[in-house]
Amino acid sequence: MTSIDVHDLTKEFGGRRAVDRLTFRVQPGRVTGFLGPNGAGKSTTMRLVLGLDRPTAGSAMMGGRPYPALREPLRHVGALLDAQAAHGSRTARDHLRVLAASNRIPDRRVDEVLEETGLASVARRRVRTYSLGMRQRLGIAAALLGDPAVVMLDEPSNGLDPEGIVWIRRLLQRLAGEGRTVLVSSHLMNETASFADHLVVLGRGRLLADTPMRDFIHARVQPRVRIRTSDPAALRGALARHGHEAEEHTDGHWTVHHARVDDIGRVASAAGVPVLELAAEEGTLEQAYFDLTAAETEFTAQPQEA
Amino acid sequence: MEFTPVLRSEWLKIRTLRSLTAALPALFAATVAFSAIAGVSDASDPAFDPLFAALSGVIPGQIAAISFGAMAVSSEFHQGALRLSLAAVPQRGRWFAAKAAVIAVPALLAGLVTALAALLVGRAGLGSAADTLSTGEQVRGVVGCGVYLMLMALFAAGLAALLRSGVATLSLLIPFILVVSFVIGDAAGTVADFLPDKAGQSVLRESYGGASLGPWSGLAVTALWTAAALLAGAWSVRRRDA
Repeated sequence: MTSIDVHDLTKEFGGRRAVDRLTFRVQPGRVTGFLGPNGAGKSTTMRLVLGLDRPTAGSAMMGGRPYPALREPLRHVGALLDAQAAHGSRTARDHLRVLAASNRIPDRRVDEVLEETGLASVARRRVRTYSLGMRQRLGIAAALLGDPAVVMLDEPSNGLDPEGIVWIRRLLQRLAGEGRTVLVSSHLMNETASFADHLVVLGRGRLLADTPMRDFIHARVQPRVRIRTSDPAALRGALARHGHEAEEHTDGHWTVHHARVDDIGRVASAAGVPVLELAAEEGTLEQAYFDLTAAETEFTAQPQEA
Repeated sequence: MEFTPVLRSEWLKIRTLRSLTAALPALFAATVAFSAIAGVSDASDPAFDPLFAALSGVIPGQIAAISFGAMAVSSEFHQGALRLSLAAVPQRGRWFAAKAAVIAVPALLAGLVTALAALLVGRAGLGSAADTLSTGEQVRGVVGCGVYLMLMALFAAGLAALLRSGVATLSLLIPFILVVSFVIGDAAGTVADFLPDKAGQSVLRESYGGASLGPWSGLAVTALWTAAALLAGAWSVRRRDA
């Protein structure tokens, strides 16, 4: 199985460090979300991994080899970097045929990926006539062309309609399920949360986290409980007795901080508080992410164990 | 990676872009049309050169060859096209060599056909004024013209790779060819004879008395300019971040 190994990778553009001593490994069989705000160095890292930009220092390997050393690289690694890269005057099919020819991939495979990405019916139209969402699909088709063990997609859900977003989520999970190495960058938290198993988080070119998504959220977001009652006084008393910190909202529901739903349920029941609603509030990736970036100033870029 | 698939891919790129496949018929049409006009011009000038008159359509016509070379390369510098190409073929030197080959061969073939047609049309217009032309001179003119057009297309391709822009390349080359060479070009026996276009055009002349370069040495000077441009372009493609 092929993993992506990035070691001490650094890239400077005119003295500014776009990528700063990054070390991480992207493992096969799961979807790794590559998170960070715009300008954090995600796209630069992907270009470095593909040998398109030369690193100032460090290395990036695909299954132990640098990308340019791969024979017929599209058969090993498929990448979507920029959906606008296809020439507007070519048809989608010709665009893919050109790429396929260079790596001796048969035209039959071109038709397969067009089918797979839902572009078969418009394959002979010029790319110029495509919407952004269709171009994204074409870029993904190009990435899948060589049936690669490693798939790297930079912001693949850009411009996709809701249907397309659900499609890409399923696609990513299927690719990972087939044992492929899948790295997907995004600056959208909720989107990433919907498909990623693992996270690599960048901030200003540095590695902020490399950890399973669930752990990432649980380590950073305190559990909370949402509760609604017809007897606020009784609830306040019961919670106070057990040392729970609660907050009452204007619409009548309460938020109990640092608490689990099992405990609050028992407390309310034992105190005979009538409960109209009781729910656990799951921490979101967004909350966890902002917690992390808020702490970034003190954070020293120590890669966490995966 | 093997070279043949890369070559096939680059050839397919040329074939599937209408602007590129249109450039070569444009080369033919413009050159032959201008040669036809030149063919009916005044032949009484003492400096009149029937071979150059018949092939003179190449002077404006070469803009199409230059555009072909420049656009074939510059299409790679739009959006992330080059990244896509180099992700498929990471051996950049090999990739650029394939690119140059698929520019050179069609440009040469189109150039030869164009030159032959221009000569025939030009001669028909010139009538008896062209009778002094020997077969050898005419063959030299046609072959030399085809090679010249190929070299100019490659020169533009090399510059486009260096400048990373078709617009920059064309706005440098077209005024250069139309204005600079035209204005200082008649001053034979000067450094102007060694300009990339002027040098090669000596192959289009029947007589080259007084000029610094003969037909083949002139073409060789253009070939050196082209080699320099291609090397600079290859250096740029290999060294710079895509």
